[in-house]
Amino acid sequence: MNKREAHELFVTCMTDHKEDFYRLAFSYVKNQQDALDIVQESIKKALVSMEGVKELQSIKSWFYKIVVRTAIDFLRKQKRLTVADHQTIDFLSSGKEDDYEDLDLQNALDALPIQYKTILILRFFEDLKLEEIAEIEEENISTVKTRLYRGLKLLRIEIAKEDLL
Amino acid sequence: MDKRLEMLRKDYKDIPIPKELDRIVAQALQEKPKKKTRPVWPASVAAAALLFTATVNFSPEAAQAMSKIPLVKELVEVVTFNEFKEEKGNASIDVKTPAITGLDNQALEDNLNQKYVEESQKLYEEFAKSAAAENGHFSMNSEYEKVTESPEILSVRRTIQRTQASGYIQNRYVTIDKENEVLITLKGLFKNGQYVPVISENIKEQMKQQMAADPNKIYWVSENEIEPFTQISPDQPFYINQDHKLVISFDEYEAAPGYMGPVEFIIPTAVISDLLVGERYIR
Repeated sequence: MNKREAHELFVTCMTDHKEDFYRLAFSYVKNQQDALDIVQESIKKALVSMEGVKELQSIKSWFYKIVVRTAIDFLRKQKRLTVADHQTIDFLSSGKEDDYEDLDLQNALDALPIQYKTILILRFFEDLKLEEIAEIEEENISTVKTRLYRGLKLLRIEIAKEDLL
Repeated sequence: MDKRLEMLRKDYKDIPIPKELDRIVAQALQEKPKKKTRPVWPASVAAAALLFTATVNFSPEAAQAMSKIPLVKELVEVVTFNEFKEEKGNASIDVKTPAITGLDNQALEDNLNQKYVEESQKLYEEFAKSAAAENGHFSMNSEYEKVTESPEILSVRRTIQRTQASGYIQNRYVTIDKENEVLITLKGLFKNGQYVPVISENIKEQMKQQMAADPNKIYWVSENEIEPFTQISPDQPFYINQDHKLVISFDEYEAAPGYMGPVEFIIPTAVISDLLVGERYIR
């Protein structure tokens, strides 16, 4: 693959999936302007580092990785990153079921450790494969599976084993 | 799927998409990290300009065979032969065809100008094809400029810009010896083929120096790259600048990432002086 083709693939990928990337960015920063900034910043980073990409069939997951990192960096700079301490996790896992659970579900997702949240979003909302998520998170598949499982458990979501994969 | 997960997914998918997204993505794709000017495209065209430089290959033998001593010196000039503009739906074209005039060597003049006209025709055909295609966002622009004019030589650059999902520019150079009325080729400047490795080495050094001096610059010069720059082509695009220096030009993506634009290198004359046929053009 030559570089011009790579560039064209990237442009096509952006055209096809920009809304997915935007939603992912939004799910971290929770406001429109910051999410747009993150998409913009991610594209700039991608254009600069494009020549480092060797496997371009996975250009989409590669760009997801850039968006995730850019968003997390942004939250860090803003000191808005939700650091998951033990209390949060205890609180999340000890709460008993009640009828208002769904009101807080979104908050509960946002309160998850950021790696858990990222994996849940990529798997269940962006419908990526575990292998792709492992690549994005630079973790092995079993770690991704474990986090996915724990994340679901913290949200008190029951799911069949086969839906996990 | 679990009901709660379903709800979360629905919330996620319902995140509204702001209408600015398209514009911001299109702009970011076009933007270069540096001050280099990029052609400005119609806002409707979502595109990243990608630059491409190529050269027209004329036969040096043919040029050599042409008569060398004109009787009357006319002013050798480049003029606009014609310009055509057209718009069809989302596609547009604006092409200026240059023509070289004032050469007594009519064969050379005709040959060069015919190439320009043929090139323009091809561009038009390409435009017509894209315009006919469904949803044919396409834009084609072509201009020319004199890069060097001295008593001895004239260098003309023709720029061809195509913009689609992404676009690119081709820079084509023609350098003629105005007095002797011959087309100058890269090969013709040197005694033998040694110029290819010598110039290539010098360019690699320049790339490394520039990268060391400015972290924003990237050239594909390390062996770890997918397609590292190894050496120039014997017919690499070139021109001769006002200071009589040889300038070697590259396609975008030929030697550097897209944001670097079409890169060029001035070759210090000392590096190639032993290889040059003479000092008439390059000093």
